[in-house]
Amino acid sequence: MQSQRELCSFPIAPSHKSKLTSAGFLITEDLKHLKPSELSKETGIGLEECLEILKLVCSESVDGSKRNEAPKPAVSALERLKEEQSLPPIITFSEGLDNMLGGGVPLCKITEFCGAPGVGKTQMCMQIAVDVQIPSQFGGLQGEAVYIDTEGSFIVERLVDIAKATVDHCNEMARLEGFKEGEITVESVLSGVHFYRCHDYVELLATVHLLPEFIKKHPKIKVVLVDSVAFHFRHDFDDLSLRTRLLTTMAQSFIKRATEFKIAIVLTNQMTTKFSPGEDSRLVPALGESWGHASTIRVILYWEGQKRWAWLYKSPSKKESRVPYQITMGGVRDIVTSPADNSNDQSDDEPSSKRQKVS
Amino acid sequence: MNTVEDLDVNPKIKTSMRKVGLTSYGQILTLSSQDIERLAKLSQGEVTGLKTAIAQQVLTHPLLTALDLQRGTKNCLQNLIIGKLSTGCKQIDDALRGGILSQGITEISGESASGKTQFCLQLCLTVQLPPEEGGLAAGAAYICTEDAFPSKRLSQMISYFRQRSEKRKQIPFGDNIFIEHVADLDSLNSCIHQKLPHLLSSGSVKLVIVDSVAAVFRCDYELKDMYKRSKHMASLAASLHRISSKYCLPIVCVNQVTDSMQSIGKKNIPALGLAWSNQITCRLSLSRTNREVDLPRIILKGSVIGGFPTSIRTLEVVFAPNLPNLSLMYVIDQEGIKALT
Repeated sequence: MQSQRELCSFPIAPSHKSKLTSAGFLITEDLKHLKPSELSKETGIGLEECLEILKLVCSESVDGSKRNEAPKPAVSALERLKEEQSLPPIITFSEGLDNMLGGGVPLCKITEFCGAPGVGKTQMCMQIAVDVQIPSQFGGLQGEAVYIDTEGSFIVERLVDIAKATVDHCNEMARLEGFKEGEITVESVLSGVHFYRCHDYVELLATVHLLPEFIKKHPKIKVVLVDSVAFHFRHDFDDLSLRTRLLTTMAQSFIKRATEFKIAIVLTNQMTTKFSPGEDSRLVPALGESWGHASTIRVILYWEGQKRWAWLYKSPSKKESRVPYQITMGGVRDIVTSPADNSNDQSDDEPSSKRQKVS
Repeated sequence: MNTVEDLDVNPKIKTSMRKVGLTSYGQILTLSSQDIERLAKLSQGEVTGLKTAIAQQVLTHPLLTALDLQRGTKNCLQNLIIGKLSTGCKQIDDALRGGILSQGITEISGESASGKTQFCLQLCLTVQLPPEEGGLAAGAAYICTEDAFPSKRLSQMISYFRQRSEKRKQIPFGDNIFIEHVADLDSLNSCIHQKLPHLLSSGSVKLVIVDSVAAVFRCDYELKDMYKRSKHMASLAASLHRISSKYCLPIVCVNQVTDSMQSIGKKNIPALGLAWSNQITCRLSLSRTNREVDLPRIILKGSVIGGFPTSIRTLEVVFAPNLPNLSLMYVIDQEGIKALT
């Protein structure tokens, strides 16, 4: 990119600039590989000045090329597949939901949960922030989480509820499998959730900007959650094209981090009513059509009667499907059906001891 | 405040930015890096460094862990710790895990005469209690948009409230409740943006009640203006949230109900639609049942409590970040709202 930079954007004397332009040198690329004597002959600028100009222009582009690096060697699809499969997903403790997502919330991708207020978006985020910390001997990622709260709905006592249930579950599994108990405690879970409260979209942009440095300092981080991404972009935003640009840039930044650090990004979004002429109004995810392209995986949470449902709306690898779920004291869980139905659900590949149902 | 001048960066960068008129943090963070490079003639490294310096200034607190939040360690945390405000009835408090959240917008919706204003009046009293008793040791700002403020009822409640303990007799409850009447959205907004900050910065008020939000939005908008209505609601909610975070206090908004168009499920749903629901932190719903109960007559320090039949009402948690969908029954007597034992 730097090699395309116009010469007149550099701090060069105007008289030299006009000489460069009339000689046909317009962008940095044009000056590459030129000796000062050659440049002097072409433009009529003094030798010493040419040396200065080339030093100025080429040192910038040297920085540029260092930054842009040699292009990475192409990776075959098989290598990519192996890489993906070696990264376990983050489980949610709802087996139905995990199966629908292909094992859980995947790393290196953006997963978006959309839903009306009260359906469980914040609960889902808290559950994921806890589950990412499950020790590796239980099939977990043993990682940490960054939780960015934009709505003020992060209540620690609720996180403690969910952490307690997960810790109890892990300790029970440890007991059954002869591992040491106490690998994971409520305190360790709480200390593994890094929290930031954003009060407006500028703070959100600032947090996203500082994320890479933070993740480098805390390499155990395996998930970044934003609850919700919609909140600060839906009020007092008269310039919608600015909003779209900011959201797109933010999404690009997220996907870069996701792949660079091999982490999962989980975003929550609100719902809004869409009025189409000639059709009934319906609920759609907020932030517009262009935002729909930001996430890799989109799950819509909704109510049907008294039950909560999760609908896998968009996924690159799993087919569209819906599962019911519930929110208990301990967090997100499957709807417990009669024992006869349960026996049909044990269809995973992993040993069932690692996927014990949590009541 | 909040301009490039305050940053600890190379003066050359500051000059370049000033030359092109890009000085505020918000402006710089929202422009793309390439645009800034082009406009201010800076290198990519310089722009990244500038944005990083700004981002660090913009953040209001360092990244903490949930453990820090729980323990209340580190001084800069005070605004972030979300406590509870007692409702005045121990059983209701227990169900709500302490009371209403001490930050964010809690909505109380319900049909007329379900007890919404009662609930708000009660909160105006409990907020004045010391923290050990579940209060926030400060007064309340009560913004009325509908009927006149029920001063007589408040006086009655205050006299009963004081009876309960010696300590309470010391608190001049009536003096600490500031009442304002507004008729429409413009006056509500000016009250919130101009009058309230004066009151709040002195620290004498730790509860803001808007009774009701529905009245302001239900009449002045025609069908074709619904988009504008959503915008105004979002803007109002954002202002209220800002106040809540800045002054660390709960905002309670009263909402009305409207008929549900569904044939199954509830008859009534809260008014103002999804656009409003998306803005609030917690929604409580009050309703009357058709059952009645005879309240036993008690004499407490010379005053009569109970002794008349009254409707049984229900309080329901429609959504809250820390509560399940529970519901409990309550009655309203001379003292106020109490759970039915």
